[in-house]
Amino acid sequence: MNPPPPSTGPTTTAAGPAGTADTPAADAVATALPGVPSAGPVGRPQGPGQFREIWRRYRRNKLAMAGLVIVAFELVIAIISPFSTPYDPFEQNLLNTLQPPSAAHFFGTDVLGRDLYSGVVYGTRLAMIVGVSTVLFSLVLGLSLGALAGFKGGLWDAVIARIIDIFLAFPALVGAIVIVRATGNGVVPVVVALVALGWMTTARLMRGQVLALREAEYVEAARSIGAGTGRILRRHILPNAVAPVLVYSLTSIGVVVVAMASLSYLGVGVPPDVPEWGRLISTAAKYLSVDGVAHLWFFPSLAIMITTLGFAFVGDGLRDALDPKLRGGN
Amino acid sequence: MGRFVLRRVLQGILVVVVATLLIFLATFALGDPFASSGEKAVPPEIAAINRAKFGMDQPLPLQFLHYLGNLFTGDLGIDFDQRRPVTELIAATLPNTIRLSLVALVFLILIGVSAGVLAAVRRYSFWDALVTVITTIMIGIPTFVLGIFLVANVSGWGPFPPVPRSFTIEVPWYQDVLLPGLTLAVIESAFVARLMRGSMLEVMRADYVRTARAKGLPESTVITKHAMRNSLLPVVTFVGLTLGTYIGGAIITETIFQYNGTGYLLARAISTNNSPVIMAVVVYSVIAYVLLSMIVDVLYAYLDPRIRLS
Repeated sequence: MNPPPPSTGPTTTAAGPAGTADTPAADAVATALPGVPSAGPVGRPQGPGQFREIWRRYRRNKLAMAGLVIVAFELVIAIISPFSTPYDPFEQNLLNTLQPPSAAHFFGTDVLGRDLYSGVVYGTRLAMIVGVSTVLFSLVLGLSLGALAGFKGGLWDAVIARIIDIFLAFPALVGAIVIVRATGNGVVPVVVALVALGWMTTARLMRGQVLALREAEYVEAARSIGAGTGRILRRHILPNAVAPVLVYSLTSIGVVVVAMASLSYLGVGVPPDVPEWGRLISTAAKYLSVDGVAHLWFFPSLAIMITTLGFAFVGDGLRDALDPKLRGGN
Repeated sequence: MGRFVLRRVLQGILVVVVATLLIFLATFALGDPFASSGEKAVPPEIAAINRAKFGMDQPLPLQFLHYLGNLFTGDLGIDFDQRRPVTELIAATLPNTIRLSLVALVFLILIGVSAGVLAAVRRYSFWDALVTVITTIMIGIPTFVLGIFLVANVSGWGPFPPVPRSFTIEVPWYQDVLLPGLTLAVIESAFVARLMRGSMLEVMRADYVRTARAKGLPESTVITKHAMRNSLLPVVTFVGLTLGTYIGGAIITETIFQYNGTGYLLARAISTNNSPVIMAVVVYSVIAYVLLSMIVDVLYAYLDPRIRLS
C-alpha cells in the first residue's frame, strides 16, 4: 500500500513497528505521517490536494481553530508590538503607581508606574521570539541526530543514545539554570539553554520514525530499483518521518514559553528591567499580601496560559488532521 | 534480571559522572573567583596564593577528580556566604523536600488515577467530558501561576499557614506541606489522568477483560483487579520520573511558598551567586533523578515480563 495513493492517503500509516511502541509518547510516534506528500520516483503528484484535505479536516476542529486564532494573534502582536503599545513599557511615572485597570491603562500600572498592558505586549514579543527560535533550533539538532542514529545504527546509534541519556538526566529547569549562568544573562543564553535541554525528545521521535520507515516496503522498493542512501533519506524517509515530530515541536512551544517564564521568575536569564512575563509575575509576588494589586500577576499569568493553550490546541488539531484514526484518543 | 539491573546501574553511573563533569565545567571552570573585579583589584601574586590554597592551580582534570572523590565521601565544599559546610545545608533541607515530595506523590496518584479511571469507565459521559476539559485547561497552567494564586487567595486561611510565614508561630509539618504539595501535584495529575484514561480504555478492550466479565465477575472486580492493575504500567513510569523531579528540588514551588527545602536553597544560592551550593544542589538533583529513573526501569522490567526477558 505504499506509496500512499491519493484517495487512501490519510488512512495509510507506516504500519506495525511505529504503532507498537509502548512509550508514553506512543501516540505521537504512531501519528505516522500520511499528511506529507511522499514524493515517489515520479515526482509530487498530489501535494496541494493533500494539504487541502488536511486543512479541511483541521478546520472542522473548533478547538484547533481557536488555537490557530490565538497563535496568529500573538504572532501579529509580536511583530507589530513596537508600534502598537500605547506607552513605552520601560517608561516610569512615579505619580501614577499601582493603578488598577482603567481606560487609560488597560491592565493598570506597576510599582514604578509603568503601563502593564505595554509590558505584557512587549513580553509577547519576547515569548514568541524565544519560543519559535528554541523550537526551530531543537528541530534542526534533533532531526539530524535522530535521523543519523536511526539510519546508521550501530556505533552511531549507541553514542547518540548515551548523549541523549546524559542530557535527559538534568531536571529541565535545573539544567537550564546551570547553562544560563555559564553563558551569561540575556535572551540568547536562554535560547541556548532551552535548546540544549529540549532536542532529545525530537531526536528520539525521529529515530523511532526512521527505524520504522527504514523497513517499510516502499523504501525497499526504492532501494531495489537502485536509489542511493542519500536519495532514500531525502526523498523517501525524511518527508514521511517529519510530520509527527513537527506536531510534537509545535505543542512544545507552549512548554518553552513556560520554561522561559520560570527561569526569569527565578531571576535567571533576561535582565531585571525587561518586562518578560515571568519577571512581571515575580515582581508581583512581592506584593501578594497587599490588597487591590492582583492585576500585577493576573494579566501576565493569563497571557502565559492563553499562549500555552493556543499552541497545545494547534498541535492537537494538527495531529488529528494528519491522522483521523487517532481522533478522540488520549 | 540480574544482568539487566547491572547494565542499568553502570549506565546510570556513567550518566552521573559525565553530567557532573558538565556542571563542574559550567560552574567553576568558566569564571575565576580571584580575578580583579570592578570594586577590588587583586594583585596577581595574592590571586596565585589563593588559587594554590583551593587547589585551583592544578590542571582541570585533576581538579575534577578531586571533586568527584570529595563528592563520594560526602564533602561538598564550604558555602561562600556563611562558611558552612554545604553538606550540612543539604542535610538540613533534604528531609523537608522528601516529605513534600511524598505528600505531592500521594495527591498526584489519588487525583490523577481516580480521575483517569472515572473518565475511562464512564466513557463519553458527563464525567469523561469534565475530566477532559479540566485536564486540557490544567496543562496550560504553569505551576507558578497556580502557586501564586494559592498564596494570594488561600494561604493564611483555615489550616494553611500564611506566606511569608511568621516565625513566631510553630506550624506542624503536615500543615506546612499541604499547599505546596497540592500545587506540585494538581498540574501533573492532569497528565496522569490522561495517561490513565488512555491505557484503561486500551486494556478494557482486551480479551481477558471480556473473559472476566463473561465468567460473571462483578464489574467492580473486573475494573479493580483486571483492568486497573494492568493499565498502571505507563503511569508508573510517569509518576516515577515526576517523583525524581520533585525530590531533585521543586525550585519554583518551594520558592513561592518559602518552603525550606533543597529547591528553595538553590533559588537563594542563585540570587547570592553561591557557586558551591549551586553546584552541590544541581549534582544532587541529577543523582536523585538518575536514581529514580533507574528504579522505574527496574520496576517496569519487574512488572512486565516481556521487557525482563527480552
